[in-house]
Amino acid sequence: TLRLICTTTAVQRKNVGASGPEKYTEAFIKKQIEEFNLGKRHLANMMGEDPETFTQEDIDRAIAYLFPSGLFDKQARPLMKHPTEVFPEQRKIQWGEDGRPFHFLFYTGKQSYYSLMHETYEKLLTVQKHQDQLIAQDSSIPLQKEKRNLAGSRWLTKIELEEMLLEKVSDDDYSRFIQLLQKLVALPCADIEEKYIQKFSKEVPVQLQKVVIEPLQYDERGVAFSTGEGQRKTARATAVVYDNGTGKITVNGIDILHYFPVLQDREQLLFPFQFLGRIGKHDMVCTVSGGGRSAQAGAIRLASAKALRSFVTEKEVEFMRQAGLLTVDPRVKERKKPGQEGPRRKFTWKKR
Amino acid sequence: PCHDTARALGDSPASLVPCRIMPVRWSRYNPSYLEPEVKKESYQKPLEELTEEEREQMELKAVRPIKAAPPTLSSSVFSDPMISKFTNMMMKSGNKVLARSLMSQTLETIKRKQLEKYHKAPENEKVTIECNPYVIFHQALKNCQPIIGLSNITKGGKTYQVPVPLTDNRKRFLAMKWLITECREHKHRRTMMPEKLSQELLLAFNNEGPVIKKKHVLHKMAEANRAYAHFRWW
Repeated sequence: TLRLICTTTAVQRKNVGASGPEKYTEAFIKKQIEEFNLGKRHLANMMGEDPETFTQEDIDRAIAYLFPSGLFDKQARPLMKHPTEVFPEQRKIQWGEDGRPFHFLFYTGKQSYYSLMHETYEKLLTVQKHQDQLIAQDSSIPLQKEKRNLAGSRWLTKIELEEMLLEKVSDDDYSRFIQLLQKLVALPCADIEEKYIQKFSKEVPVQLQKVVIEPLQYDERGVAFSTGEGQRKTARATAVVYDNGTGKITVNGIDILHYFPVLQDREQLLFPFQFLGRIGKHDMVCTVSGGGRSAQAGAIRLASAKALRSFVTEKEVEFMRQAGLLTVDPRVKERKKPGQEGPRRKFTWKKR
Repeated sequence: PCHDTARALGDSPASLVPCRIMPVRWSRYNPSYLEPEVKKESYQKPLEELTEEEREQMELKAVRPIKAAPPTLSSSVFSDPMISKFTNMMMKSGNKVLARSLMSQTLETIKRKQLEKYHKAPENEKVTIECNPYVIFHQALKNCQPIIGLSNITKGGKTYQVPVPLTDNRKRFLAMKWLITECREHKHRRTMMPEKLSQELLLAFNNEGPVIKKKHVLHKMAEANRAYAHFRWW
């Protein structure tokens, strides 16, 4: 057998057990923060900008400029972020010098989770006591609860809970905690503990209308028009919808009757107009490239729906969104896998 | 367990989501996306007429993202989900153009036959003759749907045919499948599919014909195997 002579000490040390995830000391993190701040100022000087007003976006742009990388995974590219974002938060040592742990639930293994459950249950008991007191006084349960806007808020996800508690939470534990919270919220007098509950609920943006609707533009003749872009599979389309029209639609300079001989495609093109009831009122000129017959029709449909948003009230835009006219269809052709004939079809099974 | 499957598949994007009841194996959409509602009438209802559930549904829809409408679905009066499903089942090797043209020819043939009958019939019978091909199609499918089906259950080495209730989807699927296989197999080489299909649909509309007979045979088998009904455990 060959024995390696020129080796590093790291390789020679064999059979050392894994010591868990790397622990970063506070001094180490502090040093990293100092180095980051110094590096930020150096970078600002290099780029010729003011070191005082150099934001994180500027840093990202500078790094992308100085170290261009063609790697596909964004997380594999060169990165310069504040150390608190790079190094995950870790718990400090949970026991003192004599070896005794600080927290009374340390030996359960999941001290933060169980202490959280205890706290929540205590709140539940206080609410129930309050309720009993009210019944004893007035013999009536105040039903002031107008239903909490269930659609407007959501509970913390499992990963967010893990970040909050700084320890792993299993699926079962998480679902138990959520059930307990729901039980707490279901009681009529839960308003007392509103603050505590708000720690674990997050606001969901009430309307998914985060998209900005562009205002109408006017061309030389004074006719209002608006543009929209759409895509489906590999087809890309742009549509310009004119007001005061007769319902004529032109694709790549060709009338739709000639460009889309199939009825289904023409139905798709007219779908947004038919939904809004504006069939004979608009003219449309589109350009489309790539994809196949159905993909081009879908791309033009999306482009025209986006263009029509400027002509129409906000409520109708919301209706269009709920009809599925404004979402980009993410379905693409599935890739073929090795060892199979197609994306799903396996090779013929032969007994021998 | 639902979270792990979602993460293990690796396909769903990073935004986390509560567990689905029926996880789809591989959907390009995040599970929080809801189905689109295409019919115009449902958006024209004023607020007061909605029930509690509908109000909750509306609020939920306002917050969640919605999937894109598929190319077969449209808000026009001519698009019917049942007809689209039937057309897809008739389609061979992805030739949707041909399947759709066959479907429209079938509906045309039904209309022509019924109009012929209508014009030949005496005055008092004219009311009873149904001319709308869509109504005939829906009614024929309804008449063909079996109520109860059979399922193979192996117990003690022997396989028994156990009567089992069917879901709505399964009933519709069976009705459509029987119609199509019937038309494909038992027709003369020279007859066109639309003609044969329209014939079968008209017979089914009047509760006659081979498909209805097949449904009755299935019902009789289920009745005969009634003794094994307790083998079902779901």
